[in-house]
Amino acid sequence: MSTLNPITRRRYRRNAVAVALSAIAAAIGLLILAAILWTLVSRGVGGLSLKVFTESTPPPGSDGGLANAIYGSIVLTLTGIVIATPIGVLAGTYLSEYARGSKIGEAAKFINDVLLSAPSIIIGLFINALLVVPFGTFSAWAGGVALAVIALPVINRTTQDMLALVPNTLREAAAALGAPRWKVMTFVVWRAAKSGILTGILLAVARISGETAPLLFTSFNNQYWSTNMSQSMASLPTVIFQFAMSPYDDWQRLAWAGALIITFAILALNIIARALVDRRR
Amino acid sequence: MTMTTMGPDAARDPNAATRRLQRQDRVFFWLAWGSATLVVVVLLGILFSLVWESIPAVRTFGLSFLWTERWSPAKEIFGALAPIYGTIVTSVIAMVIAIPLSFGIAIFLTEICPKPLRRPIGTAIELLAGIPSIIYGLWGFFVLAPLMQQFVQPFLIDVLGPLPIVGALFSGAPYGIGMLTAGLVLAIMILPFITSVTRDVFQTVPVMLRESAYGMGMTTWEVMRHIVIPYTRLGLVGGVMLGLGRALGETMAVTFVIGNAHRVKASLMAPGTTISASIANEFAEASGKLYSASLVELGLILFVISFTVLALAKWLIGRTESY
Repeated sequence: MSTLNPITRRRYRRNAVAVALSAIAAAIGLLILAAILWTLVSRGVGGLSLKVFTESTPPPGSDGGLANAIYGSIVLTLTGIVIATPIGVLAGTYLSEYARGSKIGEAAKFINDVLLSAPSIIIGLFINALLVVPFGTFSAWAGGVALAVIALPVINRTTQDMLALVPNTLREAAAALGAPRWKVMTFVVWRAAKSGILTGILLAVARISGETAPLLFTSFNNQYWSTNMSQSMASLPTVIFQFAMSPYDDWQRLAWAGALIITFAILALNIIARALVDRRR
Repeated sequence: MTMTTMGPDAARDPNAATRRLQRQDRVFFWLAWGSATLVVVVLLGILFSLVWESIPAVRTFGLSFLWTERWSPAKEIFGALAPIYGTIVTSVIAMVIAIPLSFGIAIFLTEICPKPLRRPIGTAIELLAGIPSIIYGLWGFFVLAPLMQQFVQPFLIDVLGPLPIVGALFSGAPYGIGMLTAGLVLAIMILPFITSVTRDVFQTVPVMLRESAYGMGMTTWEVMRHIVIPYTRLGLVGGVMLGLGRALGETMAVTFVIGNAHRVKASLMAPGTTISASIANEFAEASGKLYSASLVELGLILFVISFTVLALAKWLIGRTESY
């Protein structure tokens, strides 16, 4: 260093500081992830037991589990995904295959992106006005539809992106064989983009299974085991919200156990979705 | 000819087979068209229902809704100032913390990090985006808020509190929960979004430019500062705006740590509220048409704000892509 002139030395010093700061930034990011996961494990494992999966949420001060909430989360998520998948895939197909480059197509893509980033609480308000107020009761259907509205733009967007990656030669080859357009789409283009579309669906599942805000005024919450889709239904996020903010120790313990379950389930889904994309590449 | 594959119809009349295929084609087209249209209808429906449901509040309070601080369900007087203020302040705090951190992480991931570590570290940062917002709320309330109350806030109050002007932001008692903690939680939540957009736009810089700069003897920092950042300027702003859009609309994480007080206080330590937190906390119990209409009008304001931010972000990112 001593042979360098002062300006160069200052430049190198400045560079070292910048490099160190950005490494620290990355370390902070990783540290936060580790801290959150550690909190979940250390506080959640104590509450985990077989009962969590077999018994319904208890009244304060007694023993119970999260079975109704876990069931509710699965049902609501499935309802949302079952509604959103066909619509999302078809819409993505239209925007990517039929409306490519057209002005209306671009506008529809933009509107999809607006929906994608609309605050989820607003979707809750919308479905509340659409499906809860007219029927006079909170219902699992409303919750499922609210989640579908959140999943729809995710699936639509990933389908668009994945279909854009399918080489045109495949479409031309199929068309040259005399295949009608819908067969080109379903038998060739969708098949080529299968794992990509599946990734989009998995990411949508991961996204909606942790959503709380849109469920607050749609499927609400239910202390008891309920399989009736026309009534309010418990779900893990809403139960976590209710129990964590309560002053009761055993409710809080269950909230942390639920938090642990849902976070690791969602992170696992994210990792599986990523692995699918990687294998493709 | 193709009769065997076309089935019995074709045996009778080859044109019938073609017609059937055309019909199937049309059905598929209209299904796809209908689905794409449904997305547009849903968005218009959201907008319409927000406007429609908020009419009673708009009629009663008019434009003064926007700058009235008072929020009194008992007297049916509602003003949006405190939630709007809270939404903006928490988002600004989040941006101030998240922007330098995510730029740092993106620089680390594209220029500094050893190749084999890039993917695992990048993935870990992106996993932060997968954690549900309610978990951030829990963590913020039970882990971060006590830390803030015991260490960070007393320190800020002692050191920055006595200063003129700036001091007002850091005065009062350390509650733990409040605007500052909410902003911090939001910063963590939007970090992965800004990082991934930033990293993507950094990678759009032609290798030629970067290599030439290094070839001239520039240091890593100089390449970032004078080549990469100027080149990707618009995309960076776009990424920041996307993060801002997330921060503005985030609900559950903020609801846990904001304190839900309809007040405008200078101090960042004070409890406040945001638009989404007010809706989440009060909508289910809102009795009376005017109360719920006021909450829906808050939702409409939030929708307009986040739409504007998103449209700006898209426009800016679009401009970098078309280089």
